[in-house]
Amino acid sequence: MKIFEEIADEVVKGNSSSVEELTKKALSQNISAEEILNNGLVGGMGIVSEKFKNNEIFIPEVLISAKSMNTGLEILKPLLAEAKVKPLGKVVIGTVKGDLHDIGKNIVAMLLKGAGFEVIDLGADVPKEKFLEYVKKERADIVGMSALLTTTMVSMKETIQTLKDAGLRDNVKIIIGGAPVTESYAVQIDADGYASDAASAVDMSKKLLNNKEN
Amino acid sequence: MESGNIPVLSVNENTIPRAYEKAIREVWEKGVSIRTEYDRPEDPPSRDATVIITVQKPFGQPRFHRSFADGLGGLAEYVMEVVHGAHDYWVKPLEEILKGSKSKDTRWTYTYHERLFEYRIEDKVVNQIGYIIDKLSSTGYTRRAQAITWNPKLDPPTEDPPCLQRIWGRLCEDGEGGYIFNMNTHWRSRDLFKAWFENVIALTTLMRKIAEAISEKTGKQVKLGRYLDISDSLHIYGSYFREIEGDPEKGIKSFFEKLESRTFEERTWDSDFIKPFFINDGVGKGLKLMLEREKDMPDKVRKAIEEELRLMEEEDYEV
Repeated sequence: MKIFEEIADEVVKGNSSSVEELTKKALSQNISAEEILNNGLVGGMGIVSEKFKNNEIFIPEVLISAKSMNTGLEILKPLLAEAKVKPLGKVVIGTVKGDLHDIGKNIVAMLLKGAGFEVIDLGADVPKEKFLEYVKKERADIVGMSALLTTTMVSMKETIQTLKDAGLRDNVKIIIGGAPVTESYAVQIDADGYASDAASAVDMSKKLLNNKEN
Repeated sequence: MESGNIPVLSVNENTIPRAYEKAIREVWEKGVSIRTEYDRPEDPPSRDATVIITVQKPFGQPRFHRSFADGLGGLAEYVMEVVHGAHDYWVKPLEEILKGSKSKDTRWTYTYHERLFEYRIEDKVVNQIGYIIDKLSSTGYTRRAQAITWNPKLDPPTEDPPCLQRIWGRLCEDGEGGYIFNMNTHWRSRDLFKAWFENVIALTTLMRKIAEAISEKTGKQVKLGRYLDISDSLHIYGSYFREIEGDPEKGIKSFFEKLESRTFEERTWDSDFIKPFFINDGVGKGLKLMLEREKDMPDKVRKAIEEELRLMEEEDYEV
């Protein structure tokens, strides 16, 4: 449908007011919130994600597109809840204890949201107990942890241990990332995946979710 | 590289984005390959040079490049960190800093604002920016108006000592009864690809604050002159090479292809476009959200940021 293409196009351009206008227009044409979300907003962010992966756009542009997607999503949210539309999966994400850097984590959160995941962003400096609390409370499918410092990445291991101690480790998939983090560190601390950049964090999350369901 | 000499490169451009792009090209093409303490074992050595960059018009438009590692709201918050000390309360106590790399406290060891405005020496706390303003207001031609960040007691043992080392400024008469404020910044080490641009936006905002304060004190107009930026080691980390070089087989563009695929206007923004995002970027950052989120921020700092917000919302204030 043309209107989906138009919404997607405005998301790519990062034009929030047009996304708002078109989302309302689509609803007035009796198109379901779920269709508008998946074909318009998520469709647009899919293009943004692909362009980002291919090094065609800059980080602030990704976030401006995410803002415009959020504008549309806010309009759709009550309708999606009413229709009991399920997200692709639920991700609890945060920068680990002791670490106040949140840029990378924020970009991953936005791209995950743009891919159709529900994202519970715990922010920065998140203690292991808080990850555990939200994994329980939200029945999360995936835990995403970020660290920018060699001194704080050890908190990733401690958080995984906390989930193990609580008997919840096998209920979730765990993905880690951040400047000092490596694939071998992920293996070493028993994470399920490592992502070297934001776009591959989304691919990895989709892959892990499929594995979880199979 | 064969000679063992680190190249000394020079860039002179009108605006910040022009200087930024030129510097990346220069360091990429002419820099030496050399390792850094931050490299991971699998990373190639960094590309590195000593670089002197002049920006003739620090607030010339377009002022903002689109290539930096944050959102626009995050950039606004960083500017507040440098200019108003928004995150000085994230600095750990002195006894923890003195433990160096043995400290388990992961809070910060410094902020630029803390070092420039509240430099600790012996039992004194010195406002060095206040000194620059006072000194230049009384003797505009002085060569002593400078502020340092390095602390020989605190910095050598830490993992992340400050990159910015010194700010120096001097006034010249503009021939119309006013002054022109020239500012130099000196950096020990600098991440060109992911930090330089944000550093310069913050430092030139501080430059303007200093000029405004001198103007207020002297009752004379103080215009901004050129901004000079000297880095002993301006580098592109090996871990960024994948992003710079791209991967033609996978359809991933190189950084330079990305630049060339757009006009200069399409890879930059002017201050008018940026301003609403500085206030609230719609994805969790910006001055409004920062004030809501950071409950522990001291009142004095909060008030300064509220005033910035007022200027952005109500006045013709260029960010």
